Amino acid sequence: QWYQRRVTGERRSYVSVVKTINVFRDLICTAEWVTGRELIKIVKCYCKYLPLSQSNETDVSNVVRRILKIIREESVGPEATNSADGISAFFKTDIKPCNLGRSDLQDNILNSIVELLAELDTSKSNIVNMALEHIHSNERILTYGHSNTIRDFLLYGRKARDFEVIVCESGPSLKGHKMAAELSEGGIKTTVIADSAAFAIIHAVNKVIIGTHTIMADGALRATNGVHQVAMAAKFFSVPVIVCAPLYKLSPTHLCSYDPDAFNKVIGPEKMLNFSNANLHSKVLISNPDFDYVPSDLIELFITNTGGHAPSYLYRIISELYHPEDYDLDNMCVEDVEDEMAT
Amino acid sequence: MPPITTRPLFCRYLAQCRMMAVSMENFIKHTKVQVAKISPDLTESVAKEELQQSCDNFFRENIYLAGKSITEKAVERVVDGDTILIYKKSQLILHILLEAKARNKNFRVMVVDSRPDLSGVQSCERLTAAGIPCSYVYINSCTYVMKKVTKVMLAADALLANGYVLGPVGTALIGLISSTYNKPVIVCCETYKFSERVQTDSILYNELADPDSMLKTLNEEDTPVSNWRDCPNTRLVNLVYDTTPPALVSIVITEIAELPCTSAPVVLRRGAVKM
Repeated sequence: QWYQRRVTGERRSYVSVVKTINVFRDLICTAEWVTGRELIKIVKCYCKYLPLSQSNETDVSNVVRRILKIIREESVGPEATNSADGISAFFKTDIKPCNLGRSDLQDNILNSIVELLAELDTSKSNIVNMALEHIHSNERILTYGHSNTIRDFLLYGRKARDFEVIVCESGPSLKGHKMAAELSEGGIKTTVIADSAAFAIIHAVNKVIIGTHTIMADGALRATNGVHQVAMAAKFFSVPVIVCAPLYKLSPTHLCSYDPDAFNKVIGPEKMLNFSNANLHSKVLISNPDFDYVPSDLIELFITNTGGHAPSYLYRIISELYHPEDYDLDNMCVEDVEDEMAT
Repeated sequence: MPPITTRPLFCRYLAQCRMMAVSMENFIKHTKVQVAKISPDLTESVAKEELQQSCDNFFRENIYLAGKSITEKAVERVVDGDTILIYKKSQLILHILLEAKARNKNFRVMVVDSRPDLSGVQSCERLTAAGIPCSYVYINSCTYVMKKVTKVMLAADALLANGYVLGPVGTALIGLISSTYNKPVIVCCETYKFSERVQTDSILYNELADPDSMLKTLNEEDTPVSNWRDCPNTRLVNLVYDTTPPALVSIVITEIAELPCTSAPVVLRRGAVKM
């Protein structure tokens, strides 16, 4: 039941999310449980086997939270979910026992998971179809590095509008070159610039459209290294920054520290400085962080599969997608702790 | 400056060697004034010697001695425990740091580098050879390291009359990040680099370097845009300069004084009066 963690290539995050769901679908069918609460405990214990220990792998942990929310909703039953609204639903943390037996409950959960898979499948096309609302003719758009979502977004916009794209190379990995090649093959006039030239050209750009690795709970981003300064330059010249990302990247976590263990990931410096410069490698501290923290006040709009949202609205979406007790996947709910202490 | 075909022959020759930079223009203006001042009753050889002497004087006063004077002033700003951020390679900034080390100051240097020319590596080599502890990052990671930095020292290619600093591309980004994190930005610039030109953005007047140098990767492999000349939709733009607004710079150290950016026209007027 292990899956290859190193998922790469097209739609990397989507593929890893789908594989996670399949793993948990098997778990729900094969594990021994009777009530919803027992199943939640099993799922949370199983989380330890998945690569969730790295705080960076948020796609996987977000989708586990979605599954847990589905289990909770189905356990409570349809009448309870329909009557629950407003503030009382927000504070509902206990799961009332339901009359459904295991097989009925399991069927309901699996049906909901199929709906979740359908939602994830269409997430990218939902974002891409909004391109025409956000790109107008003769615009100059700045983008950073490589993103499959942004590439398809811009190519879709090209079908009806004529515009130019400026791509920042994106640091040691030079992913921006790949993006530029793909965009120009699709018929978009593309200019590649070095990251250092971002400030120089940004006043001549109409908007900045970027993708991200993760969206944090307050609307901040964990994005590719170098995006923060492009966003700062955009703010200086009042150029709007638009982020396109599907909602499974929205994570109910906040920034607690900028350190590599908590937020960032530092990768090898061989792309920055050749190992033939070995004497320098031994004397100089070379840092190659993979991610960048972009605060939410630099971002104008999020385009997600459910539509466009301001950064200030994301807290509401989080409360709809995830249950508060699942924000921290390691903790067990109060009743479980009491059970443990009783035995 | 007047268009290239009406300029005297030596200017055209220089412009073919290298695109006209601000410092080159100022030197040519200075030389023309010296040529005009030469009295007509001198012989040709004596006149030539005088001109050569004036060129040497220009170099000695405005470049060599000015550099020393700036170093003296800037070294006092380096204190023990500092982490100083520098951008790429600049003779003047390296000179300041090496002088500070020679005076037994205890500090670290954060070298920020950027593609395509990666001249920051040479800075690292010179600083480590002198025993100064260094860190090295690309400009993308500037926000990641900025918290640990105490001061930022930048070199300028020119100071424009409206206070904008013309520097190697990326200087403006570093100025922006530094001022956001409230780090002092010290720009070191000799007065021969002051220009009467005014500019508010970096694109109006800039240089384009060789675009193929952007394709160079460290392990000599091709990038997806290596065949950009065959693709009609792809363009590579390799800017050389960018302009930093005066709001992002704390102080400019010149050999005559330590000034705010906005005092550039005062220095220019003083220089014009002298001539």
